[in-house]
Amino acid sequence: MTRPLRIAAVFFVPVVAWACYLFLLLPSVIVFPISFGTGGEFEFPPRALSLGLYQQFFTDAAWWGAMMQSLMIALMTALATTVLGLPAAYALQRARLSGAGLINGFIMGPLLVPVIVLGLGLYLQFAPWNLLNRDISLFLSHTMLAVPFMMISVGASLRHLDPTLENAALIMGASKPAIFFKVVLPQLKAGIAAGALFAFLISFDEVIVAYFVTGPETQTLPVKMYSAMRWELSPVIAAASTLVTVFSILLAIGIMMLQRKEEQR
Amino acid sequence: MSSASDVSFLSPRSATLLVAPLGALLILFFAYPLVLTVWQSFYEGGFTLRAYAELATSTLFYKVLRTTFVISLTATLVSLFIGYPVALHLSRQSPRRRTFYLMLVMLPFWTSILVKSFALTVLLGHSGIVNQALGFISGGTIQFPMVFNRFGAIVGMINYLLPFMILSVLGSLLAQDGNLARAAEVMGAGPFRIFRQVTLPLSMPGVIAGIIINFTLSIGMYITPALLGGRQDMMIANLIDFYTRQTLDWPMASAISVVLLLISGALVTILGRVRGGAGVMGVAS
Repeated sequence: MTRPLRIAAVFFVPVVAWACYLFLLLPSVIVFPISFGTGGEFEFPPRALSLGLYQQFFTDAAWWGAMMQSLMIALMTALATTVLGLPAAYALQRARLSGAGLINGFIMGPLLVPVIVLGLGLYLQFAPWNLLNRDISLFLSHTMLAVPFMMISVGASLRHLDPTLENAALIMGASKPAIFFKVVLPQLKAGIAAGALFAFLISFDEVIVAYFVTGPETQTLPVKMYSAMRWELSPVIAAASTLVTVFSILLAIGIMMLQRKEEQR
Repeated sequence: MSSASDVSFLSPRSATLLVAPLGALLILFFAYPLVLTVWQSFYEGGFTLRAYAELATSTLFYKVLRTTFVISLTATLVSLFIGYPVALHLSRQSPRRRTFYLMLVMLPFWTSILVKSFALTVLLGHSGIVNQALGFISGGTIQFPMVFNRFGAIVGMINYLLPFMILSVLGSLLAQDGNLARAAEVMGAGPFRIFRQVTLPLSMPGVIAGIIINFTLSIGMYITPALLGGRQDMMIANLIDFYTRQTLDWPMASAISVVLLLISGALVTILGRVRGGAGVMGVAS
């Protein structure tokens, strides 16, 4: 191999890698400086710094109302996926159920179907029931979408669990519900917390299904942002994007820390 | 660890009771909407194939289908050619540094696709920094239209798809026994030859899984083509939305959904057959 070729080969991989990290990070980072601009036109770097866009965001009920709606739906989704997913994940791990493989596949189903198809299906389902533009339909749809993430997260912590502890508790006379709450649950805390954050983030960021099943009164922040980008091109999008990004990154860091804690056990 | 007591701790009866609420939710709000979509595509007051017949003769549908395949294939292949060296870079780091670099890959993975699309419209816009840089280099003569056209849609999709490809390939690179490459080196193979004859063939399961995952995600994409593409770059998902909201032709929207569902179903089935496919799904999610 000639010398220049070898030098090119040595540099090729790191150069592509760093260009790629930059390409991945830049879009998430660039919204911060844009959001502190004056908002006449989206520009980078902004000519003057101002908090004007944030002021507009928090004084316009359409924007912060959408954010409160998103937070509320996401919170309910996180709670519901925990309440429904936790017992199911435990049961699938600790019982010999016929067709367990099939059930597991079914639970992961929402991950495998294109979201647009689910969006249309839920729209067709809720329209005749008069449930479009209602909180309950959005909450149920998001819970369905977030369940697989809770199952993955709790499933991973359950596999680390030593079943002999549960058997020991059983021999010493503890009831099965007591074992679940006193022996199993405390060991699953990190997995459950990660799963709940996962579910929260999935709901908080979800656009397509929300776009299909919500209306003017139940609009979430992503739907508001989507229509603002499509039709209005309002500069407030920059402030909304920054808030969403800060939120997503905090949640993602939380999830990663919980997962690492889980791995270190 | 998975002794017999492990799986028979709960009776099938109580286990069924614990799974039932979740099962009910998924039957009602996952399975039922899908069945309804299939039903709606055949039923308009009575059984009919009207929607499918109309699809079969619709030039718009074929055009959208072709656009979807071309864009998806381009985005998938470009993300493979960028993602592979990145995975290679990650696989060569110490675990500590790899964790740090993986954060760089995963953090954008977690930020909203809307935010990324918005940022890309600003970055790639006619007065965005990419065009400013091009203008600076060329002395103000070069300005590319890079957004609201096919180029923009593909860039946006690659930005979204790269982490899936990187994780998929990285999985199969890390699973390799480092002694194989070392043995090849001892026997006198150069770095290029080691890569071509040892590393690359052994990473093929990850490559194939990554291609299928990226292509499956691509053909269902909605937000990116809508926000970064042009009017000519409508993809299947956008067409479904068009028939649902613009023309209110629900049977047509449903029939297109069934087609999309069949294609992605076939791809997911193939993915399941590829060795390591299931593991990749776990990582990617």
